[in-house]
Amino acid sequence: MHEAPGLPRQESVLVPQGLASVSPTRAAAPETPFFFESGDRPCYAVLHAAARARASAPVVVHVHGLGVEQLTLYRQEVLVARAEAALGFPVMRYHARGHGDSAGDAAAVTLGSLIEDALAAADEAKRRTGASRVIWMGVRFGGLVAAMAGARRADSAGLVLWEPVLQPLEFFRAQLRFLLFSRVAGGVRPDATADQLIAQARAGQDVDVNGYLLHREILESSEGASLSVAMADWRAPVLLAQVQQRAKLAPGFEALATTLRDRGVPLSIAQVREEPGYQNLSNPAWECPALTRSIAEWLDALA
Amino acid sequence: MPWRETPEQLARARAEVPVTVATPLGTLFGIYTPADPAAPPAGRCAVLFTRPRSHRNRMWVEAARRLSLQGFSAFRFDYHACGDSDGESHFLDPNTPNRADGDAVLAMLRERFGESRFLVAGACFDARTALSMFVEPSNTVEGLVFFAAPVMELDTLVKAHADHKDWRHLLRALGNAENWKQLGDPGRWRYMATVLGRVARRGAPQTNGEPANDTPLADSFVQHFRALVRSRARALFIYGEADVELISFRVALDTVFARLSPEDRARLEVELWPGDVHGFLNLAMQRRSLERALDWFAQFHPAAADANSVATAPRH
Repeated sequence: MHEAPGLPRQESVLVPQGLASVSPTRAAAPETPFFFESGDRPCYAVLHAAARARASAPVVVHVHGLGVEQLTLYRQEVLVARAEAALGFPVMRYHARGHGDSAGDAAAVTLGSLIEDALAAADEAKRRTGASRVIWMGVRFGGLVAAMAGARRADSAGLVLWEPVLQPLEFFRAQLRFLLFSRVAGGVRPDATADQLIAQARAGQDVDVNGYLLHREILESSEGASLSVAMADWRAPVLLAQVQQRAKLAPGFEALATTLRDRGVPLSIAQVREEPGYQNLSNPAWECPALTRSIAEWLDALA
Repeated sequence: MPWRETPEQLARARAEVPVTVATPLGTLFGIYTPADPAAPPAGRCAVLFTRPRSHRNRMWVEAARRLSLQGFSAFRFDYHACGDSDGESHFLDPNTPNRADGDAVLAMLRERFGESRFLVAGACFDARTALSMFVEPSNTVEGLVFFAAPVMELDTLVKAHADHKDWRHLLRALGNAENWKQLGDPGRWRYMATVLGRVARRGAPQTNGEPANDTPLADSFVQHFRALVRSRARALFIYGEADVELISFRVALDTVFARLSPEDRARLEVELWPGDVHGFLNLAMQRRSLERALDWFAQFHPAAADANSVATAPRH
């Protein structure tokens, strides 16, 4: 990992405002769908060509969220990719194995396979664009994956953490609490607690979370992982984007920010006071111009 | 059991072709799954409608690859303003389906891949879009799987209330939330069906050679349903007994379905399942829905038709 020249050294808080036409609904440059190989499986991807020249621009690699969150946040990711491309950054989005149009079983998805796919995607993105550096954009669980993948490479030039998952176990607990809450709201008394459901999944039993199984493989493979540990040696610029209704930074994000700040990592923080239904497919799909602007402004300042 | 990818399905994944389709509303992105050349050719392409195109828990991804192994080709795509495709975001109203996107996709499949006979499937908004594919005669759609969609719209109720005195009582009743709750009671439904039948039998003026919509159903649904009937294609309608959308469909059963000739009615199957089909929010319902759709499509394979003599040749 290395730092790009001219990067902001001080922590900044982005207040979304500029770049008025930052969410193009149509591609300003070609967008090419294709498949690439990862772990002996074809993975679907889209390469967004840069809409204008930008000297030595890194390629942005998007790492999506886990399970249903890959769908609920999909449209917003596409709009962010278009905004990035409009600024002159080539972008590659992909579907990890067991997700979307890629091959592979959801049951076989592990933290390791997600990292492997991210690394393969970055290689493919560099090969197709000729870029020498990678900026990672990790969405939710993908934030953890992007940080772990990026930490393994010397060409990581930046990291966007979009409402990242700090601890996988807490993420799964939150999903299960949402499931139990929706059952109560529907007049059904839950017959197990979130922790009991996690224990069932660990035992290999089917735990159906609104139509998606919580698989033992992803639970066990991500046990003990944490974003702060993954970023222990991180030095490239970071944008931490909190997407929550709360006015202040969440305690977990504050702790991460403090750690990064203390280590001299160039850190920007964006606070977008919205609460998308991470597990609910909405009509129309969730879009967040403020988040798009925050990411675009941060990228624009990078190079 | 959740989906476990087989080596054969993986091979079909490797054969998939990403496709873009230029339309006036922007470029659409989709995936074409060619029929397995090792399978007896079905000669039909299944177009699977949803957003984003993989469907909840990748139902349509699995469907495409399994159909391919049976000799069908398949296509799934993102509507404009959805998933990878271009377009300005907007609320997707089931009564205003994305017919233009579907027509553009079927035209592309004819021109680029030589497809000439189609099967379509979808749920809710996507079911209504799939149904709208029967309007364009050149689409040659032979079969429809239609999961749990609303077929009535509030605007129509309001308009009809103002224009048609005879509907007033009925519409007032339908507009009362308490009455809608009571329609879960079979006795209440029998009463409502009686009222509907009495009002509907009074007839309606002709427009463009086609009777006007004299039902509380959405105009678009009635228009597209009539196109389905004219096409002589077959259709399978599936609702869950707990689906809110079933309320409006029961009105369709008591009106547009009830008026069909026995021959036309025989081509349209209706299944009511226990529980909630609409949201696909549990794995058991996902699996049941997927398996039923695939089984039903399998009847259109020439080998199955030869064996069972079940296929009815479409008029177009």
